Amino acid sequence: MKPALRILPEGRTFAVAPGRLLSEALEDAGIALSLYCGGRGVCGKCFVEIVRGRLGDPSEEERALRTRRALPTSYRLACRCPITGDLVVRVPAASRLPRMPVLDRGVRRTLALDPAVRKIRLTRPSPDLAEPRAFFDALAEKIPGSRLPESLRALKDMALPAGGEGPDADVTAVLYRGRDWLAVEPGDTTGRSFGLAVDLGTTTMVVELIDLETGTAVDSAAGLNPQVKFGADVVSRITAAFAEPGKLEALRASVVDGLNALIGGLLTRTGAARETVYEAVVAGNTAMSHLFCGMPVASLAVSPYAALFSILPSLPADDTGLAIHPRGRVYLAPAIQSFVGGDIAAGLAAVDLAHQPGNQLFIDLGTNGEIVVKKGRRFTTTSTAAGPAFEGITISCGMLALPGAVYKAAYGPEGVSVETIGGLPAKGVCGTGLIDLVAGALDAGLLSPQGQILSPSKTIPLAAGLALSQRDVREVQLAAAAVKTGVRMLLEENAITTADLDGIYVAGAFGNYLNISHSVKLGLLPRFDRRRIRFVGNSSLAGARALLLSQAERARCETLAKRVRHISLAQGAAFQDRFIDALEFKPWA
Amino acid sequence: MESRERLLAAMTEAIVAGDKTAAETLAGQALSAGLDPHEVIEKGYIPGIRKVGELWESGEYFLPELIGSAECMKAALAVLKPALGAARAKELSRGKVVIGTIEGDIHDIGKNLVAAMLSANGFDVLDLGADVKPARFIEAAREAEADFICLSALLTTTMLNQRRVIEGLKERGLRERFKVLVGGAPVTRKWAEDIGADGYGENALAAVKLAVELGPKGRFR
Repeated sequence: MKPALRILPEGRTFAVAPGRLLSEALEDAGIALSLYCGGRGVCGKCFVEIVRGRLGDPSEEERALRTRRALPTSYRLACRCPITGDLVVRVPAASRLPRMPVLDRGVRRTLALDPAVRKIRLTRPSPDLAEPRAFFDALAEKIPGSRLPESLRALKDMALPAGGEGPDADVTAVLYRGRDWLAVEPGDTTGRSFGLAVDLGTTTMVVELIDLETGTAVDSAAGLNPQVKFGADVVSRITAAFAEPGKLEALRASVVDGLNALIGGLLTRTGAARETVYEAVVAGNTAMSHLFCGMPVASLAVSPYAALFSILPSLPADDTGLAIHPRGRVYLAPAIQSFVGGDIAAGLAAVDLAHQPGNQLFIDLGTNGEIVVKKGRRFTTTSTAAGPAFEGITISCGMLALPGAVYKAAYGPEGVSVETIGGLPAKGVCGTGLIDLVAGALDAGLLSPQGQILSPSKTIPLAAGLALSQRDVREVQLAAAAVKTGVRMLLEENAITTADLDGIYVAGAFGNYLNISHSVKLGLLPRFDRRRIRFVGNSSLAGARALLLSQAERARCETLAKRVRHISLAQGAAFQDRFIDALEFKPWA
Repeated sequence: MESRERLLAAMTEAIVAGDKTAAETLAGQALSAGLDPHEVIEKGYIPGIRKVGELWESGEYFLPELIGSAECMKAALAVLKPALGAARAKELSRGKVVIGTIEGDIHDIGKNLVAAMLSANGFDVLDLGADVKPARFIEAAREAEADFICLSALLTTTMLNQRRVIEGLKERGLRERFKVLVGGAPVTRKWAEDIGADGYGENALAAVKLAVELGPKGRFR
């Protein structure tokens, strides 16, 4: 008889094949388990409580993870435990994938509205016996220089309005870049034209529905990238993609399904019809763009980490699987050579970096801390392995910027006081809260500049049952040092210092909540006139919006992406010395 | 006699404090005073680096302190080793290590740290750098008559290449000649077992302990 697995608090029971991993059995049962590391037993995010039943002894690694998270011995790492007999397990909320929306904000700048998708109302050609002209010929003549689609399916769709009622009935032409026929719709449908701006992040994704006629954002939806279950970071997902045949397709399908779910929700909420969404602009890093297309990623995995593409022509929507108008298009924001993705190029478009005066610094505080320096008319970029600490992933009580996350903290005479997103009881700490806590602890003398916790408890408490460990502080040191080293070396590469900068842009999920003086105290941001530091939030999404709304912006972005030179910093003794030096919490010299 | 004890204690302290000038100067003083360089290393400097290891493990020290102390050791050993003479230095070495980051991977901070800590603890270390092909590890180890091959990988993708070194050794009938140790952020004990490595070090300190345990002079001291 197969072992029975009872899952609490759901209270449901399932029969399980013996030997199946507990994590797999839970997933089979529809539990969205948090498998950030892809079930490799290294992130410690899938602990479940064994209420009854027996499992094999935990490995040394598992025991270490359990100690680090201060869990009792009844907790086991689901991805490490093959099921051998009947089990009753309780899956705590902390070990489940969060289902709530992420914070979402962007920058806005004014752009001349010039989307690639245009609708034109036409009088339906009415042939007569004297001049029996073909329907498509008559249409094509109305738009000189236009091209019919090279797809029979598209042509058949276009043929439908040919049999419309009455001689004067209108048809509406949907044209792409003024040249390619996407569709012919019966009647007058001008005024009903939408597009999507998509920020395809490694951890989170945001979709915004944009009215292409007015340029306004109608609504937006955000969620976790479902690929998270294949691994938290880009590298583990690339590994998953070529680990076995079919996995690349599974990764592609997973992210497209996730986006389609967000799109579906948006359409339902706004009442917009799927057939009126004609284009999506997707901004993601190089790996996310490749996986979205289902392109092989093996070459991204090993030195020299070469991509297959940086700039692609717009793709037919039905090829990508994105559920918009099947004849619509999907445009991927251009990548900068192989390393720096369309998310950054889009970010540069969002802040219009190319047209800002003098010398500028752009920092994206994501998992790959990407940095761009504009010196006059010269652009250079680099990536640093900041890691997901600021997204809460490698922090014992860390979490994304979701409701319940501590996003602000301050030390006063009565100890620490915190603010949480949505004012809910504190569930964990997100990036901005983490920086406040560490800077505050430094000020309060609980922490040495070298990162040693000085209090006898060896923890930095932040709320009931929540505290930063020594290891958490080390993670913050590593992340901040990676960014600081990257910025310093890229400035040096350009033979300038922060004194030569005219402005700094800080992008990333941090948004406006990042405390400047705390960031400066830790050395994460340089000392700089705070009026000239601009927090631009999700600049990848804002850039995708700009590329959707303006063909000129798209051309400029492609040109800029080709002009940016990538510099690799990871090699060499200079990087190492700087990095080690930057580990100390101190303001920039 | 008392001054000798004081000198040795000062050496230990210099390593713990990461005071390179002091570490170097004290080594010179010891030689001028006619002390045995071997005794100076073992009783003055090694206890210092051991203490640093303990402070690291308790979380009080982090990378900068570890690297600083390893550099002090290097400076002191540079003064003392020539005085030992080649034959005695070889005799007293804890073993010869060939180390590098595996092919396809350009990350080398972790590897450098392990190399520094191994040298600081009396191993002879040949660092091949980053992005090193499996065949190069094997050739270098054979040429150097190494005891250990240490393989670092910072990516789950490049980690797979660690296995190729072990397979290459087997093909050439050299597997038993060297101990193969693996490490790096994505590497786990399980992975080390899967590919048939001789050991896995979670960090630089663990790597040193492992090498001492498995080394040709495992019971040395």
